[in-house]
Amino acid sequence: MSALMKKSIFFILLAAFLASAGLSAQNPVIRDQYTADPTARVFGGKVWLFASHDIISPVAPERKWFCMADYHVFSSEDLMDWTDHGVILSQENVPWGKPDGYSMWAPDCVEKDGKYYFVFPNAPREGRGFAIGVAVADAPEGPYRAYEKPIPGIWGIDPCVLQASDGNTYLYWSGMGLQGARVKEDLTALESAPVRLDENLPQGFKEGPFIFEREGRFYLTYPWVQDKTETLAYAMSDNPLGPFEFKGILMAQSPNECWTNHHSLVQYKGEWYLFYHHNDYSPAFDKNRSVRIDKVVFNPDGTILPVTPTFRGVGITPARSLIQVDRYSALGHLDAYIEFLDEQRPFDGWYVCLSRPGAWVRYDRVDFGEEAPETLTFRYRASRDCSVYVSLGEAGGLFDLPASTSWKSVCLPASLSTTGLQDLRITLEEGADLQLDWVSFGDDGPVVFSDSSTALEKYMVPAGDSPARPDEDGFVRRWLLLEPISKPHRTNNDFTETYLRELMGQNYFPGQLSDVLPKDGARANKTLRWHAFDSKLFNVKLFRFASNLSEDRYGKLYWMATVVNCETDIPDVRLATGSNGASMWWVNGKEVVLMDGDRRMVVDDCASERLTLKKGRNVIWGAVINGPGLSDFCVRFLDAEGKPVTHYTITTK
Amino acid sequence: MKKILLAGFLTLAFLPAIAQVGAPYIHDPSTIAECDGKYYTFGTGGGGLISADGWVWENGAVRPGRGAAPDVIKIGDRYLVGYSSTGGGFNGPHAGTILTMWNKTLDPNAPDFAYSEPVEVARTLEDEDCDAIDVSFLLGPDGRLFCTYGTYFGFIRLIELDPVTGARLTGNQPVDIAIDCEATALIYRDGWYYLLATHGTCCDGVNSTYNIVVGRSRNVTGPYLDNIGRDMLRGGGKMVIAAQERLFGAGHFGRFVVEEGVEKMSLHFEADLDRSGFSVLAIRPLLWRDGWPEAGELVADGNYKILSRRRGYSLELAVDFVRAQGGKPFWQIKQGEPLMVLEGQKLADVADGWPKGTIPVRMADYMARPHQKWTIEAVPDAGGYLGGPYYKIVIEGTGRALAAAEGARLETVPAFTGASRELWRIDQLTDGTYRIMPKEIPGQPPVKAKGDAGNDEALCLVSVADSTPGLGRFDFSSDNCKWDLKLH
Repeated sequence: MSALMKKSIFFILLAAFLASAGLSAQNPVIRDQYTADPTARVFGGKVWLFASHDIISPVAPERKWFCMADYHVFSSEDLMDWTDHGVILSQENVPWGKPDGYSMWAPDCVEKDGKYYFVFPNAPREGRGFAIGVAVADAPEGPYRAYEKPIPGIWGIDPCVLQASDGNTYLYWSGMGLQGARVKEDLTALESAPVRLDENLPQGFKEGPFIFEREGRFYLTYPWVQDKTETLAYAMSDNPLGPFEFKGILMAQSPNECWTNHHSLVQYKGEWYLFYHHNDYSPAFDKNRSVRIDKVVFNPDGTILPVTPTFRGVGITPARSLIQVDRYSALGHLDAYIEFLDEQRPFDGWYVCLSRPGAWVRYDRVDFGEEAPETLTFRYRASRDCSVYVSLGEAGGLFDLPASTSWKSVCLPASLSTTGLQDLRITLEEGADLQLDWVSFGDDGPVVFSDSSTALEKYMVPAGDSPARPDEDGFVRRWLLLEPISKPHRTNNDFTETYLRELMGQNYFPGQLSDVLPKDGARANKTLRWHAFDSKLFNVKLFRFASNLSEDRYGKLYWMATVVNCETDIPDVRLATGSNGASMWWVNGKEVVLMDGDRRMVVDDCASERLTLKKGRNVIWGAVINGPGLSDFCVRFLDAEGKPVTHYTITTK
Repeated sequence: MKKILLAGFLTLAFLPAIAQVGAPYIHDPSTIAECDGKYYTFGTGGGGLISADGWVWENGAVRPGRGAAPDVIKIGDRYLVGYSSTGGGFNGPHAGTILTMWNKTLDPNAPDFAYSEPVEVARTLEDEDCDAIDVSFLLGPDGRLFCTYGTYFGFIRLIELDPVTGARLTGNQPVDIAIDCEATALIYRDGWYYLLATHGTCCDGVNSTYNIVVGRSRNVTGPYLDNIGRDMLRGGGKMVIAAQERLFGAGHFGRFVVEEGVEKMSLHFEADLDRSGFSVLAIRPLLWRDGWPEAGELVADGNYKILSRRRGYSLELAVDFVRAQGGKPFWQIKQGEPLMVLEGQKLADVADGWPKGTIPVRMADYMARPHQKWTIEAVPDAGGYLGGPYYKIVIEGTGRALAAAEGARLETVPAFTGASRELWRIDQLTDGTYRIMPKEIPGQPPVKAKGDAGNDEALCLVSVADSTPGLGRFDFSSDNCKWDLKLH
């Protein structure tokens, strides 16, 4: 995303939005993709987060198992605002690895003499199981180049590197128990025979060793199945390779039965933090996980207090940013709960529902600075008039929220004489089922947060990494959109079939109607670029794509493309389209729908003849032309009974 | 929608009798309102039309504030007028404001004619998926006052107003109820809310693609679904009326309930081919079929049989039945004889035998005889009633005209004279049948339909018995009062 942001105006708008949202830092910390197995390291005063990157399998989406094709790295100076530096290594770029192994599991990274050594497990090209490899870069964000061969003599996963105070470098992994050995500084080879570390530890499955040194003692921390799913446990030793003495549980097993947990500990700006993961964004499938952070406290004797996983996470939230109260510190009682804003789009986040008077939510560590707030903005939904009491330490006040069946932002005057750091608590006093998305003490609330805003993010967001699926009504929401081509028309009556075939038959860019789609961000010609989006609505609001690019938003020709991936042939389906205004549609290079004239957005306005979606990739192209109207389109496939087809995935590749 | 139409002075040698007469030039007409025996509608740009009878319309209504697409509703003894202060057209701005104001009367010459200070009830910003113009009102069954607004620029929205003040209810938040349409109207009937909306593009003369569609909901806040269950938030809509043969750009629906079973819809056609392409007011019967509104038709000049709904008998002259000549009974025709085309009975075959003076009427099964065949024609310059002209009803090929007679009787007179008792008001009822009503019954006060300006009881053509027509009270629940008109 970052490369795009620099280039075009509307992404600046988008970036501004994301930046303001990003300040509010709760768990999970990465909120636009799945992340797992976090290893946090401090390089150059920043925390760098190296994580696995869970995806839904693009080749076998129905196969519910771990699937990881590449690694991203993220950095932050405050543990709240994370920058995604993009892909640093992917499976095709590992000389010894299977290019389609999807086995890029838990990694680590260390620095030595200005070089960054990224250590990762992967399925080797030949043989079974996992080997552990290394890639090297001159900066933490890459570019990384993988060694030709994996580290000899290791079969296993979950590498962890310790640069100990004795001057040696140690490598740990799991494979036939937890193992450790001395290793060369450049990680090219082991320097000692591997040692079993877990022989004195309580029974039960163990993996993911993370070893660190603190005040002269060595901590072996590891996921451990004591009961049903993985806890995080730890043991201590005076030596890097043990023997280790079991000390206890660092984090209990998940109440939601996310089977895995995997973690690291890091000291940053004087505090210790536990990075771990949980399947927050994928409650139904625990192999799609998300990284969380919570604080760690050591006892004077060096043992560790158990860490309670929280939504609130770490950091201080500025009062004038969006305070995501659904990432609470505490909930008042059983009549408060959280739900996804949109179950189909978990990365949109959650809301908290205060269902009965007395229900409350608390959100700790809100920073008001030196100025008391003058307004309080609520983004909420409620079927009845509600009243809430907002308390901030000693200060507090009542706020009335009129019933609204749709999400609304209401900016209310607030005279709350409070400054500095406060814990925010919101209690439902009157009404019922108040759903809160966020609150903010920002005084520019109505402008920035208004629902009247037509910023692009209201309509579409950059396409996610995992393959998309049609929505429950079968609408295809992931598309590559080309920035609009200017084609002024005074009236939509001009769009006869003859004219449309002539207009859309012209060549506008190389690869038009091709089976190979352009990359997200690629230039189609000197002036126009392609962008991959996930529409937030059933229809793709081309008009808002245009209006966020330029004042000039009428009289445009839009091109779009996407790929429908099927596991088997799906015969006898029809492409059903709606568009404002006229449009033309192609499936696998063949024209299937032509919508002439003065069209408005009507679901299933036209449908193709029966066609077969073939096993594998099916490339859909479309073009929409409009004179004065609010351009948009919607596309879905209908089966022989007219029911939406939903059993396929959507990519733009 | 937003074009300001300057009503010109037109002299036309010929107008089809079926069009609204006078100078019915208007764009975006408000729902028709009745005040002190006259009808009113307001349009875009200020001003509006007044009609004494509902058929002949002239400029003269007064509304300050200019702006676009007003609506008017009578609440208690006052009129609430809404309009939008702005509107920018296709490429123009979309910041809009809806205002409401009260008046005790719509008659600009009345001593108490005065508008209250306008109150803002809705506003949209330039950068917003809504355009606060094209207001419409509904006083719901429970006395709540709703207001819809919006154009093709984003969503149609619903808000609730205080029926006492006309102001927005405190804390009321707009609800999005439709997309990609404009000039909406909200109506209520029989447990359903109906959202009428104008689809297509306005203001393009004879190429205007405006047309009116509908969706319905059990709840005022929606979802408004069409006949196949498609939400108007996804472009759903069932057609109510589109272009006619010589009229284009149907838009801005308004409903007027005359009485139970008698409803009218008002709209504009943006281009009337018979009037230089002016935008004109139109009023059509409003029909309800299976819970859906449909536009009915004005009765076109033509030759009809007039059939009672009571038994299906045909209205006819009370003359001797004359056996038709030609042919022989079927059992006397031999197999293999060449086929012949036989003539039916013609007027000339029988007319000489008819009495010369007045002849009464009766009803019988239709036998395609000349005494059962009627010509119905609108009478120019005879005025009309809400949405229709007065007609003459004569025996086809003759001047013999159906007339009301003293004592609330029916008869035919040898020649049509234009007298009021020979003029007939024909309303298509909500079930598609017709009510036929004389303009005047000799010896009785002038006839006014219930619900019309005047509010008198009216007598209409009824089946007194299967074979006996007469004049009687209209009762929508009785087939005795309903007639089918079938072209022959």
